[in-house]
This record gives sequence, C-alpha cells and structure tokens, in this order.
Amino acid sequence: MSLTALLPILALLSSLLAAVVIFALPESSHRLRTLVNLLAAVLKLGIVAAMTWGVFRGVDFSVSFSMLPGVSFMLRADALAMLFAGLSAVLWLLTTIYAVGYLEDSPNRSRFFGFFSLCVASTMGIALAGNLFTFFLFYEMLTLSTYPLVVHRGTARALQAGRNYIIYTLGGGVVLLLGIAWLHGLAGDLAFRETGHFQSVDPALHGQLTLVFVLLVAGLGVKAGMFPVHGWLPQAMVAPAPVSALLHAVAVVKAGAFGIVRVVYDIFGIDFAYRQGLLEPLAWLAAFTVLYGSLRALWQLDLKRRLAFSTISQVSYIILGVTLFGPLGTVGGLVHLLHQGIMKITLFFCAGNYAETLGVHRVDELDGAGARMPATSIAFTAAALGMIGVPPLAGFVTKWTLGAGALAAQMEWVVLVLLLSSLLNAAYFLPIVYRLWFLPVAAPWPEERRWGRLETNAWLFWPPLVTMLLLVLVGLLAPTAFSPLSWAQLIAVRMYLP
Amino acid sequence: MNSLPPTVLIAASVLLPLLYPLLALRGVWRGALRALLPLLPLPALVLALLSATPWTLELPWLVLGSTWMLDELRRSFLLLTALLWSTAGLYAAGYLGAEQLRRFCVFWGFTLAGNLGLVLAGDMASFYMFFTLMTFAGYGLVVHEGSDRARFAGRVYLVMALVGEMALLAGFLLAFRAADSLLLADVAVATTAGGADGWLIAALFLAGFGVKAGLPLLHFWLPLAHPVAPTPASAVLSGAMIKAGLLGWLLTLPIGELGWAPWGQFMIVLGFVGALGAALPGALQRDPKTVLAWSSISQMGLMAVLVGAALAAPGHAPSLVPLIALFALHHGLAKGCLFLAVGLVLPASRVLRLLLWLLLALPALSLLGLPFTSGALAKGAMKDTLLTLPGLPLGAQLPLLLQAATLATLVLVARYAWLLWRQLQPGAAATARWAGWTLAVLCSSVLFWCLPGVG
Repeated sequence: MSLTALLPILALLSSLLAAVVIFALPESSHRLRTLVNLLAAVLKLGIVAAMTWGVFRGVDFSVSFSMLPGVSFMLRADALAMLFAGLSAVLWLLTTIYAVGYLEDSPNRSRFFGFFSLCVASTMGIALAGNLFTFFLFYEMLTLSTYPLVVHRGTARALQAGRNYIIYTLGGGVVLLLGIAWLHGLAGDLAFRETGHFQSVDPALHGQLTLVFVLLVAGLGVKAGMFPVHGWLPQAMVAPAPVSALLHAVAVVKAGAFGIVRVVYDIFGIDFAYRQGLLEPLAWLAAFTVLYGSLRALWQLDLKRRLAFSTISQVSYIILGVTLFGPLGTVGGLVHLLHQGIMKITLFFCAGNYAETLGVHRVDELDGAGARMPATSIAFTAAALGMIGVPPLAGFVTKWTLGAGALAAQMEWVVLVLLLSSLLNAAYFLPIVYRLWFLPVAAPWPEERRWGRLETNAWLFWPPLVTMLLLVLVGLLAPTAFSPLSWAQLIAVRMYLP
Repeated sequence: MNSLPPTVLIAASVLLPLLYPLLALRGVWRGALRALLPLLPLPALVLALLSATPWTLELPWLVLGSTWMLDELRRSFLLLTALLWSTAGLYAAGYLGAEQLRRFCVFWGFTLAGNLGLVLAGDMASFYMFFTLMTFAGYGLVVHEGSDRARFAGRVYLVMALVGEMALLAGFLLAFRAADSLLLADVAVATTAGGADGWLIAALFLAGFGVKAGLPLLHFWLPLAHPVAPTPASAVLSGAMIKAGLLGWLLTLPIGELGWAPWGQFMIVLGFVGALGAALPGALQRDPKTVLAWSSISQMGLMAVLVGAALAAPGHAPSLVPLIALFALHHGLAKGCLFLAVGLVLPASRVLRLLLWLLLALPALSLLGLPFTSGALAKGAMKDTLLTLPGLPLGAQLPLLLQAATLATLVLVARYAWLLWRQLQPGAAATARWAGWTLAVLCSSVLFWCLPGVG
C-alpha cells in the first residue's frame, strides 16, 4: 500500500487503536493511560500535519474499497477534509491534556478516555470520509461514542440529557439515512467532489433532488444544533467540561455543520443549490438560529448553559456562510468552522476551570474571579471578545468575511443579522467579563481547591492559555499561509472552479 | 515623494503601550508600571516630530492585510495624542493611589495603544481594530472609581459605543464593497460613486464617529462618562480620544468630492446645535469636570461645522482640513490642561497661588481665543475661512452664529472657573502631578507654537 493511501488510515487508526488499548488497560494504571493518550494525540497531529502539507502541494491521499455492490468505503483527504481534521487533531491534544487534569481521581476514567478516543476517531473519519456512505458510518459512530461521555457522571440529570441526546441524534440519523438512500437510488454512489455532481442534470429530477436536499440538511441540522432541532444541546452540557468543550468545538455540532458543507458543495454543488433556490430558505433558518440562540443565551444564569446557547448561535454562522453564494461567503463559513472551535473550546476550558477550582457554576458567582484566577479570566475575556467580533481576534475575521460575503451576494439583510448578533453577544458576554474584573468578591467561593503556585491544576491551567494564543494569532496573522483564513480561501477557490 | 517608513519607531510606538500591560502580571512590577506611565507615548512623539512624511508601511500579513501611514493630517493628530497622553501620564503617576493601580495601568496602556494606532492606520481593518481597542479599554478607565455614578456612566458609554461600532462596521463593509479596497484613501471616491449605497455609507460614518465625537443626540454618554473617570483619564478622554471621531470623519467622509453640499449643510446645522446647545446644560452643572465635558461637546460642534463646510465647499477642502487638524490640536491640549487642573491643590505660598491661577487662566483664555493663545490662531483662522467661503449654507447668519458660539464658550469657561475657584482646597500633591499639569500648560501655550504644522 502506498503512503498516500496509508496516511488517511493511520490518521484514523491512531485514535482508534488508542481507544482499544485504553479500554484494555486496568482502571488503576493512570500514568500508562495518560501516556498512551498523549502519544496517540501527538502522533495524530504529526500525521495530519504531514497530510496537510501534502494536500497543499497537490498530493491526492485516498483509499477506497467496495463494501457492498454499489457502495464503497472511501477515505480521501482534500483541502476541506484537512480543515476539519486539523481542528480535530489540534484540539484533541489540548482537550486530552485538559481531561487528564479534570478527571484526576474521579472514577471510570478508563471508560471515559476509551470513548473519548473513539469520539475523536469518529471525527477523523467524518473529516476524511470520501463519500456520503462513509460519512454516515462515522457520523453514527460519533453518536454512539459520545453518548457514554454525556452520561459519564451517571446522575439522573445526565441520564435524562443522554436520553434526549440519543433520541434527537438517532432521529436525525434516520432522516439523513433516508436522504442518502434516496440519493443513491437517483444517482448512485457519489464521491465528494469540489464542484458537486449536479451542475447539469435532467430537470425532471429537480423536484426529487430538492426533497433529498431537505432531508439531508434536516438530518445534519440536528447535530449542528439548528432551530428547531437544537433542544438536546443545552441539556447535554451536564457532561464534564472537557466533553462539552469537545462537543461544542469539534465533535458533534461541527460534524453536523461540516456535513452540511459537504452536502451543499461536494454533492449538489453550490451552483445547483443556488439556481434551485435552496440557499435562501436555509439562510433564513440559519439567521433565525443565530439570533434565537443569542437571545436565549441572554437569560441563562448557568455559565455552561449560556455557552451552549451561544454555540447554537455561533454554529449557524457556518451554515449562514454556506448559503451566501460567492467565494467570500464560503470562506467566512469555513473559517468559522475553525474559529468558533478555538474560541468556544477556550470558553469551556475556562468554565471548567472555574467549576473545578472555585466550585463556581453560575454567572452571578463569578464576581471578582479575575483577581483569584487571572490567567483563566484573561483567556475567557479574550475568547468572549472574539465571539463578539472584536478585532483582531478570530471572530472578527469571520464576521468581516461573512459580512463582505453577504454584501457580495447582494444579501444585505445578513449584515444586519450579523451586527445584531454581535450586540447580543456583547450583551451576554460582557456582563460576565465585568463581573470577573470589576466586581469585588461577594461571597466565599462555593468549593475552593488550591494547587501550589499556579491558580489551578497545571493540566487545566495551560490548555485555555494555548487556545487563547491561537485565537489571537489566527486573527492577527490571518493573511499568512496555513492560517485558517488562507486555508479556507484555498478551499473556496477550488469549489468555485468551473 | 514618499519617504521610507521608520519601521522600528513605528513598531515601538504601538507595541510599547500594547505590551506595557504585561507588567501587571507580577505584583512586584508595580513600580515600573507607575514609572512608565509618562514614557509610553514617547516613541510616537518622536515619530510625529521627526519622521519625514508622507510614508506608507505595508503589513500584508497583519489582520486583513494592513497599511499604516503618516501624512500631515495624521501627524497633527499623532502629535496631539502623544503630547496629551504623555503629560496626562506624568500627572497620573502622581495621582493614582496604590489601590487598583495595576488594573488602571492595564486599561491605560491598551487605550493609548488604540488611540495611537488608529492615527497611523491607513486601512479600514486597522483603523477599526485600534478604534475598537480604544473604545473597549476606555471603558475600564471610565468605571475605574467603581462608584454607582461611574458604573452607570460606564454602561451608557458602552452601549452607545457598541451601537456606534456596529454602524462603523456596517459602513466599512459597505465601503469595502463599493471601493473593492481596504484603503481608507479609497473610501471617499467610492462613496461618491456609490449612489444610494454611498448615502448609507456616509450616514453610517457620520453617526458611528458622531458617537465618539459627541454629535448632538449622540452625545448622551459624554457628560456622564468624561467626568467620572480619574482626572488624568478624563483629560485624555476629552482631549484626545474624542478627536478619534473627528479624525474618523476626515478619513471616511467624502470630503473634497462633489455633490455632498446638502450633507455639509446638515452637518453645519448639527454642529452649531452642539456648539450653542451645550452651553445651557453645561452652565447648570456643579462639577467642573462635567462643565468641561459639555464644553467639549460645544467645541466639537465647531469642528463639526468645519467638517460640514469642507463637505459643502469641496473646492476648499484642501485648506479646511489642515485647519480642522489645527483646531483639534489647540482644543485637545487646552482641554487637557483644564481637566488636569481639577485635581490640583492650592499651595501654601501666596506667590505660588497667584502663579497657579495665572497658569490656570492660560488654557481657559486660549479656549476663548484671546490674542497670543493657540485658540486665537485656530479660531481666528476658522472665522476668516468660514466668513470668506463663497456660497456656504447659512452664509448670512454665520457671523452671528460664530459670535453666539464664542458667547457659549465664554459661559462655560466662566462657569468652570467659578466652580474651580470654589473647589480647590489647600493641600499637598505629588510632584509628578504638578509636573504633568505644568508640562501640559507649557505644551498648550508655548510649545504649541513650535509644533510642525502650526503657523
């Protein structure tokens, strides 16, 4: 087997094998498990980096074999795949480090890290899937491997949230499968292709294809947390912080959004979707979700719950970008796939730090936390400002590109939505920042723990600082090669080629 | 002929205040934080005084691809910003207590970096970035004292500033589409060619920067926020930061383009409403700093009149724009002195006391435009130009309006002086505070005449 076929498989196997090894390890071998985890994460990062360089140079990484007659399993690394795989690889490493610290001395760590690795393997599979069938396989594997993580604590609330999560996502999966099967009947086994498959198609099929489009997007919209099928997301935040971080930044919601990107560009083709008028209704729905999530976030007092509604809002930026016909809009959506991930994971890391170090879970308990935990609070502040869209942070680059894309697509109302959403983001993030830095400590911390010199456990201390650095750098150095923006431009150029 | 950009100096101008807050990370660096306060704007000051203009610095790897530049207009604003922040910083070093010193210095550094950076910005993204940095960090200065009054003022400041920022972002996005360029220099032409879009762009910039510049009806935050900040912060808020709105207008409005006369007329009217209207509420205040804040609205109104004139008479824009910069320089330096004086104490010796009142009177008289002051130069030039421009809207009423504006200034300055007379108490103040204020007065009354672009 050649190296170009081997690397995608290795990228997948690195986390898959880690999962197997971790499941096999006894609960007590903490050090060995951590070592395996970190080694696998570093290895995967290396593989993904190598593949990214290869894709940049024009190397075609792909491998496929037939599963059933007419259905093939196919892995392929294109530029879009590497966007998602890169995000997954970088954030997996950081989240693993974070999770090791977070779950220190808690029970069932073997189970946790096993499924954690499976979950990352699934996202890698989703990224590298070369056709809808393979995509679906990993998409469902993701559902099953995240369920144990959501219910990890085993409380009644967690189990309830898990039940809801499963009902929503499996339901979405069924709809998705229906769409895939229908499309298979119409057009056969379709590999993802940068300009789509339906640039010229028998007009008699337009009606059916439109229905298929609706099914696929509806099925994927569940994980992407789009209104009105977002209900599982705020509940799922009962999961431990590293899980929430991964769920909101890389794994679940991004898998949905990424799937929609694949369907719109690489199956139907943006031209077809545009000419059939499929983008406009999706844009309205995404815009509504953007505002709805922000409005709901305003009223949440639980910090993680507020962040969860913020995710609903922010992920729909990606969908909104997809619906803006023209390269700029596409770039805005794609770049936000990464930017939102980096910013949101920072926020969840910080929320976890407040919970683990001070026992603080509610927004109104954060008064004066800036003085007690300056590093965490600086990271939180930067990420919150980024979400609002303050330059030069990651969120600004997104907002500018989306706004310019909307204007280029003659959809001026989208700019209004973006501005309104910025104001709403400010309205629910700035009060938290204000509490952190400007209010005195009101009451003793609910449950304070101390770890030596640093403000919190070292494993929890560094990950949010690293992601904060990332969210500053991807904005500040956006025009440089291999920045998310440049990479998204590379993808968009290929997508709009005739 | 373009000059070579002095890269190291440019980097130092922005990076020194931007990185200065890092000193707050360790408690033991407190002393350095205080000592550096007056030194932060020095690289920018050297840049403004010595660098040969115009230069352009391309930073294609930064944000969306940045262009920084310095021309005569920007040099004048850079001078004002660097001078005022430097003297106010010196004053602050002798003004601040140990409590919350670190937090104040963090916001001071960031606000200053924003204020200096926006002057150097040649493209939309850089300008918006530094402008936003200044706005957000400025909030920390406004609410620093932590009183209910400060917190309320902070909230109004932030809400209005955010709405203003959104107007600016929309304006920049539309201007980007119209110009297909990020350069600020391309905005005016694109706005004029943009038809209905052009009107929207101009309206968004007028309103967005109008919030910062205290344009009537967008001014509500200003008399609340400027007085509650610690005195050195009030000085830079009213002297330098407010001018960012004016600079924003000069860089983004279609000044010098044909067809904007009605807009110019509108701005002239709005400017006079501010210049005259601020006198009444201002005269009713009991806090000298609040009187000064209203006076700032009044003076910014006059600058808005000049911007309006430049819009209405595009042919004369090349002579009006330097005049506006001169006016801003005069007002910024004088207003800074007046604010800093509020935090002074009366010395024991009678001679020193007399000297104090004498020095206090200088910037006040300058604001009134008395002979041999910077105000005489700026306001005299304003009158000469406005009254001789042919075909200006309100042409017949202009002399009367300008006289009324002088009267408004007189009312506010007199009210301020009276309140200060009643308020200043004998006592002791740190040397740095005296030095900062004296230096500010020196800048406003003597050094002003030596600055490039003056005279």
